[in-house]
Amino acid sequence: MEIFVQQCVNALSLGGTYALLALGLAVVFSVLGMINFAHGEILTITGYTVFFSLMLAVPAVLIIPLALIVAMLAAAAMERVAFRPLRGAGPTSLLITSFAVSGILQVLFQNLISARPRPVPIPDFLTGAFTVGPFHIGVIQSLSILATLAMVGLLTLFLKRTLLGMAIRAAAVDFPTTRLMGIRANRVILAAFAISGLLAGVSGLLWIAQRGSVDPLMGFLPVLKAFIAAILGGIGNLTGAVIGGFFLGAIEIGLQAALPEPVQPFRDAIALTLVVVVLLYRPQGLFGAVHSVRP
Amino acid sequence: MKLVPIYAIAGALTLATMLPQQAAADDLVVGAAISLTGGLAYADVPAQKGMQLAIDEINAAGGIGGKYKIDLRLKDSRSDPAQTSIAAQELIDDGASVLVTPCDADPSIGAGQMAQSAGVAAFSTCASSPNLPLAVGDHMFTNFPGDNVQATVSAKYAIDSGYKNAYILISPDTSYTQLPNYFKTVFETLGGKVVGEDNFSIGQQDFSAQVTKIKSLEPAADVIMTAAYEPDFPAFIKQLRAAGITAPVIGSDGIDSPTTFALGDVAEGVVFSTAGFAAPGSPLEAFNAKYKAANGENPDTIFSAIGYDLIKVLEAAVLKADSVDREAIWQAVRELENVQGATSTITYKGTNGVPLRQVSLIKVVKGDRELVLQEAPDAALIPAPSL
Repeated sequence: MEIFVQQCVNALSLGGTYALLALGLAVVFSVLGMINFAHGEILTITGYTVFFSLMLAVPAVLIIPLALIVAMLAAAAMERVAFRPLRGAGPTSLLITSFAVSGILQVLFQNLISARPRPVPIPDFLTGAFTVGPFHIGVIQSLSILATLAMVGLLTLFLKRTLLGMAIRAAAVDFPTTRLMGIRANRVILAAFAISGLLAGVSGLLWIAQRGSVDPLMGFLPVLKAFIAAILGGIGNLTGAVIGGFFLGAIEIGLQAALPEPVQPFRDAIALTLVVVVLLYRPQGLFGAVHSVRP
Repeated sequence: MKLVPIYAIAGALTLATMLPQQAAADDLVVGAAISLTGGLAYADVPAQKGMQLAIDEINAAGGIGGKYKIDLRLKDSRSDPAQTSIAAQELIDDGASVLVTPCDADPSIGAGQMAQSAGVAAFSTCASSPNLPLAVGDHMFTNFPGDNVQATVSAKYAIDSGYKNAYILISPDTSYTQLPNYFKTVFETLGGKVVGEDNFSIGQQDFSAQVTKIKSLEPAADVIMTAAYEPDFPAFIKQLRAAGITAPVIGSDGIDSPTTFALGDVAEGVVFSTAGFAAPGSPLEAFNAKYKAANGENPDTIFSAIGYDLIKVLEAAVLKADSVDREAIWQAVRELENVQGATSTITYKGTNGVPLRQVSLIKVVKGDRELVLQEAPDAALIPAPSL
C-alpha cells in the first residue's frame, strides 16, 4: 500500500513534466496546426542560460526569471525567423522546417558551445526530500507537481480572462473568422509561441535540476514524449495535453513498478502499445479536438 | 545575416575536404571517420583533440622516427552508422594506412568491416565493448579498457570492501550500459550475491520506480552498480539519495565527466572505473598540462588522453614496421607490447584486439577525484565477452 501511494506520487510528478511539455506543443498546434519539433531546443536554451548565468555569477534570484524570459524570446524568435516566412504553407512544410530548426540549433550548440555536456551545479536543498509519514517525497518531484498546477492555472486564467488569451482560443477554432474580427494574426501566433516557450522554460528548469547538466542534444527525448502525450490527449486540445501527459506518466511508472524483471526491457514497447490501443478506440485522442473538421 | 560567416566557414571546410589531397610517399595517412556532430560527438570531439595534440607533437619533431609525418584526414560521420561506412570507404580508397572509427561499437562495426576487407587496421577512438573485434575480425582494435575488464576491477573492489549484496541497474539500449552484467558475473564468482536488478531507458528522467524498488529490497543492497551516464546517472543518484538510500554506488567510465564532480553532496563517495588517473608525475598529468597549453583549458574527459594514446600506438607500430604500408602496420600492431600512452601502458600482443590496459578506480571526494586503486585485473577472473 505504501509503495502504491509512493508510486502514485512518482507518476504525478513525471506526468506533470510531460504535461507541461505537451501543453507547449498543443498551444502552438491549436493555433498553427503544426507540431514544433524544435520545442525541445527551447529546453536546451533554458539550460544554457542557467549555465552561462552561473558562469557569469548572475545573482541567484535573477537566474530563474532570466532563463524563462530567454526561453520565451527564443520561442518567439523561432517563430519570427523560421515559421513566419512559411505562413500559409502546408503542415508538412512546417513540420520539416521545425525539424530543420531543431537540427541547426543542435549543431550550433555542439560547435559553438561544446559537444560535451556542461555541468550545472544545483543547490543541495533542491536535491533533498522530505518525509510525510512513511513517504519520501523529493523536493524536485514536489516542485514539478506544483509547477504543473501553477502553469495550468495561470494558462487557464490567461486564456479565459485576457483579450489575447481569448483571441488565441478563437484562432484555435477558426483563424480566418478571428482575423475578420480585427485580431492581428501575427500577435496571436507570436503569443502562442511565447507561451509555449514559457512552458518549455519551466520544464527545462525542472529537467536541468534533475540531471545537473546541459547537453546539446538533450531536447530530443522530452519533445518525443510530449508529442506522444499530446497525441494521446487529442492533439491541439489543451486539457487533453495535460491529461495525456499525466496518463503517459502513469503508464510509464505503472509498468516500471508492476512488470516482472524479465519483461522490463519491453517496457517502452508495452507503453507505446497501450497508447496505440487507446488511439484505436479513440482515434482523435482522449479529448479529440472538437474543431477537427473545419467548415 | 549573422549566420553568413558560419555558412562561409562550413563551405570552405567542405571545399577543403573535397580537394584532392596528395600525401608524400612517406606520410602516414590516418583516415578518421569519426563523429564531429550528433550523438557521439561528446566522445569523438575530445578524442580528436587528443589525437591532434599527439600528431602536432610528433610532426613538430620531424615525424615518426624523424621520417614519417602523420597526415590526418578527417571525415564527419555524423554519429550515423551508414555515414560512417561511407566515410570509411572514401578514406580507404583515398589511401589511408590506418582507419579510426567512432567511440561506439555500432558505427565501428560497419566501418571496421570495410577496413577488414581492405586489409587496413582500424581503431575505435574509445569504444569499450569487448565484442567489437569479435564482430569485425582481426583488423579491428579497440583503445579502451574493455567493459568486462572494468567490471572485473570494480567487482573485486566491491568484494574487498566487504559488500555482499549488490543491486545492478542496466539499460538494454546499448552494449556499454549492460556492463553491470559482467559485474554480476565476477561479483557472484567471488562469493557476492546480486539481490536485485532493474532496467532503465537511456534519457529517462525519472528513476523513482527503481528507487522505490531498491528501498524495498530484502535483504537490502549494500552496494549499487550501474553503467548509467549523463543525464541518467545524475538523475538516478539524486533520486536515490533523496529517498534516503545511503548504499555506496559504483559506476564506470561514462561518468568520468565534470558533471559528476559538480553534483555536490549526492555524488560524494561515488566510485567509478576509468582509463587513467593524473597522479603527480604521471604521464596523464603531463598530458593534461600539454592539453591545457594547447587548448587553454583542462580536458573535460579522459577521452582526450585516450585519443592521444591512439596516435602513440600508431607511432609505435610504424616505428616497429619502419613502414607506412597497411599490412606492415597491421602486423606490427599485433606485436605491440607496453606502449607508453598518456593513461596507461598498452599491449596488443596476445590479445584479440582489446588491448591490455590498466583500470583506475576513482572516488569522488568533495567534488574532486581520489585514486582508490589502479590495476590490470587477474586474467582468470575476466568474464568472456557476451554477445
